[in-house]
Amino acid sequence: MGTISLEHSDRLYWLGRYTERFFTTLKALGRVYDSMLEEKSGYQDYLACFALEDTYSDSKEFIRSFLFDDSNPNSAAFSLERAYDNGIVLREEISTDSLSFLQMAKDTLKRAEQSSNVRMSLLPLEDILYSFWGCINEHIYDDEIRNIIYIGKTIERLDMYIRLKYPFDAVEKEFVRLCKNLNRVPKGTPYRYSTKYLSELVEILGSESDYEKGGVKATQALCCLFETSEAAV
Amino acid sequence: MVQLKQGQFMQAVGNAAEINELLRRYGVKFGIYKNGVFNEQFFPFDPIPRVITAEDFCSIEKGLVQRVNALNEFLYDIYHEKKIVRDGIVPEDFIYISKGYLAQCEGITPKNRIYSHISGIDLVQAKDGEWYILEDNLRIPSGASYPLIARELTRIAAPNAFEENNIVDNRGYAELLKETMENANCGGIRAILTPGRYNAAYFEHSYLAELTGSVLVQNDELFVEDNILYHRTYSGGKTRIGVLYRRISDEYLDPLTFLPHSLIGIPNLMEAYRSGNVGIVNAPGNGVADDKGIYYFVPKMIKYYLGEEPILKNAPTYLPFYEDDMKYVMEHLETLVIKDVAEAGGYGVVFGSDLSKEKLEEFRKTIIAEPRRFIAQEVIDFLDLPIVEGEDTVMRKADLRAFVLSGEKTKVWASGLTRFSRNPDSFVVNSSQGGGFKDTWVLSR
Amino acid sequence: MKQVNFYYCAKLTFDDYVHNHSFALRVIPPETETQRLLSCSLNITPYVSTQQTVDAFGNNVTSGYLKGDHRFLDFEIKGAAQVDHTKHRTDYMPCYLYQSQYTKPDDALKEFYTEIKRECTGTVADRAEYLCAALANTVVYEKGHTGTDTTAAQAFLLKRGVCQDFSHILISLLRMDGIAARYIAGLAFCDGETHSWVEFWTGDHWEGIDPANNCLVNDDYIVISQGRDFRDCAIDRGVMFGSYTKQLQLVRSILS
Repeated sequence: MGTISLEHSDRLYWLGRYTERFFTTLKALGRVYDSMLEEKSGYQDYLACFALEDTYSDSKEFIRSFLFDDSNPNSAAFSLERAYDNGIVLREEISTDSLSFLQMAKDTLKRAEQSSNVRMSLLPLEDILYSFWGCINEHIYDDEIRNIIYIGKTIERLDMYIRLKYPFDAVEKEFVRLCKNLNRVPKGTPYRYSTKYLSELVEILGSESDYEKGGVKATQALCCLFETSEAAV
Repeated sequence: MVQLKQGQFMQAVGNAAEINELLRRYGVKFGIYKNGVFNEQFFPFDPIPRVITAEDFCSIEKGLVQRVNALNEFLYDIYHEKKIVRDGIVPEDFIYISKGYLAQCEGITPKNRIYSHISGIDLVQAKDGEWYILEDNLRIPSGASYPLIARELTRIAAPNAFEENNIVDNRGYAELLKETMENANCGGIRAILTPGRYNAAYFEHSYLAELTGSVLVQNDELFVEDNILYHRTYSGGKTRIGVLYRRISDEYLDPLTFLPHSLIGIPNLMEAYRSGNVGIVNAPGNGVADDKGIYYFVPKMIKYYLGEEPILKNAPTYLPFYEDDMKYVMEHLETLVIKDVAEAGGYGVVFGSDLSKEKLEEFRKTIIAEPRRFIAQEVIDFLDLPIVEGEDTVMRKADLRAFVLSGEKTKVWASGLTRFSRNPDSFVVNSSQGGGFKDTWVLSR
Repeated sequence: MKQVNFYYCAKLTFDDYVHNHSFALRVIPPETETQRLLSCSLNITPYVSTQQTVDAFGNNVTSGYLKGDHRFLDFEIKGAAQVDHTKHRTDYMPCYLYQSQYTKPDDALKEFYTEIKRECTGTVADRAEYLCAALANTVVYEKGHTGTDTTAAQAFLLKRGVCQDFSHILISLLRMDGIAARYIAGLAFCDGETHSWVEFWTGDHWEGIDPANNCLVNDDYIVISQGRDFRDCAIDRGVMFGSYTKQLQLVRSILS
């Protein structure tokens, strides 16, 4: 097609971000769920990562809310709805097939809510999400356009990993991946990085000790990565 | 009409639940507003197809091509010399009181003189097997995407039916649409203009964009500069659009020419169009030809422009505007269906049989006072089609929307949208009223 | 025959920056049997590339697109024309016989027509002059009561209005009487702003009549645009983006 509007490029970026947020949230919650088998209140650490208050009566309520409650902006269901919202207006860019996996994910999540073994019934979501990404890769021919969605995806993953205090080697790998994607963005387009904030990130994520100290600063820098104020210089 | 052996599509019937599930997954939905809240509703699919024999289709095809060609001639004539009015075939009043007539389109000649590129012609089959034209839709007929995606899935669900019968593949619609758009292209990319995802037919807009390789756009991504229509790209550049398949109504198309307060239009689009720099599919102003009042004259148009006898029949229609017809309508009002020319979308339709004696008398007076406002038609005894309801098969009213595409040649899509009513007493086969759709199989022999 | 100089300018001012501004101006007088342009120049600031087209009603349309931020749009047209009303225009369109958005009569206006139609006899010109006089006896010329959105029916209810309202009511009456009529926007000696009047179809050509002054049109009138009603003749129409709240328009016109 070769032509893409600002609105659609935004949609692609956020489709990448929300799909990834859904996926990482799901995996992280799986781990919380797992740890809670022995320890009934293991979820406070998770809340602390996002500076959220504990308003939940027990771990069951927490898990229900963070998985299925689409009015909770930190839930998996919320992210998936937003991913779908962005995807639905990108049909001709990402294909009906890709979109159908998001619908399938929504259906699967809905069914899991009714299931007696929630984790078991969430398992197919992993397959569905990998299929979604495979489909995206297959159907978007324009590298520049495909890259926008991957930038959204890697930014989100890095942001989530840092917030969830993932180990340095996992974060470092994702950062290298992000840098590769960022370098593919042509100058003068909306997803061209700001040199200032990229250098900040390079500094913080350069060594394990800096990473452990500078997590909050790193997420802030990620937030500003596409600020255009320096474009005039 | 031939009946296929039940067994041949029972496979599909057996898999109906899965087909519907898949259709839902692929997004076959339409949006509706209920109490101000937007909801996406699934468009239910019935697995028993409507079957049209090769012989039947052959005459329908010829009839539709003839009809659409005449309608295109009519549109050119109305916006230019108006010979048909001068020669007394169509009374002037019927043209100029029609809401669909747009004086702003006078003198504009679209590329290749085609006005109605995509025509949706609604037909019904009567119990005696005869096909009748119910209405022409020459503005933005929708619905082609549903049978298109359903076919993809029924071929998987009921392979036997496709092996054992000679069913014409309908999946070439996208190619046909692309050709049609290219034929109207004035130099540039193809784009489909949608009012947005909260439009009832958004699925169709996006699906057709995907299948035809067109850019799906909204008005704020477009602008007209130096009478050329452009798509504004994310990097600050612009891409020229050569043909715009717009899915918004005429009045909203250009706020500088039509409704000044339209928020979904493109300012100066009409200037670009008038200058021949962009094709608009379908042409603005087509409403004058698919008006209920004009319907009566279509068979006369066929004779007038093409010198041919109409192949497909109109439902028997009377215009109280003419004295003889008025007399007939007055005498038979209780058996006729009366349509208000100015209304659309199922509104303003009254069945004489539903009215009390007093109401009939009142209505007669209204017709006498405003004879041009109404048309009257005989009620056609529809041929009912079987639909699956739970474990049973029940008979319901259904119509057929045939799609006729006018590019280099006028072609009829060998399929169509068969809509049915769930309500056994209803003649209204509208998706927003809980109806569903069927695939339409055209046999090759 | 008369040679006249015309000048017209308008200034659109916004209280904040606007951008992506599309506009269509109908300011260049058409060349017709009754008026020949000897010279004509149009100036628009800020500078913008424009295109000329002729619309369905025969009007010259100047369209343009101002992408960047700006706070005003000025245009100024000046020229000279030779006007000769002994010649006649014949650009008929059947739609002029039918009521349009601004001229659709309500019951009061229909009733008014029914009351006066008995005496509305003679040639088309006689009838037009009679209707024009009847209108002048009923509606008073008074500024400040009507706006550009006012319809014939609304102005008739108020019994006062300006040239635009007089034109709409007269067109409505003429069309009820089966006479095709069109709205004219233009410049006239009697007015300091743009003026509007009516043309009716005699059966073989157009004749001008000025209902606001209850007189026939002569060589002191220059046509800028024509259409079914005001809607087809708006001097400037535009769509723009920005957080502006009001749009101020200053207009000046001179005919000499």
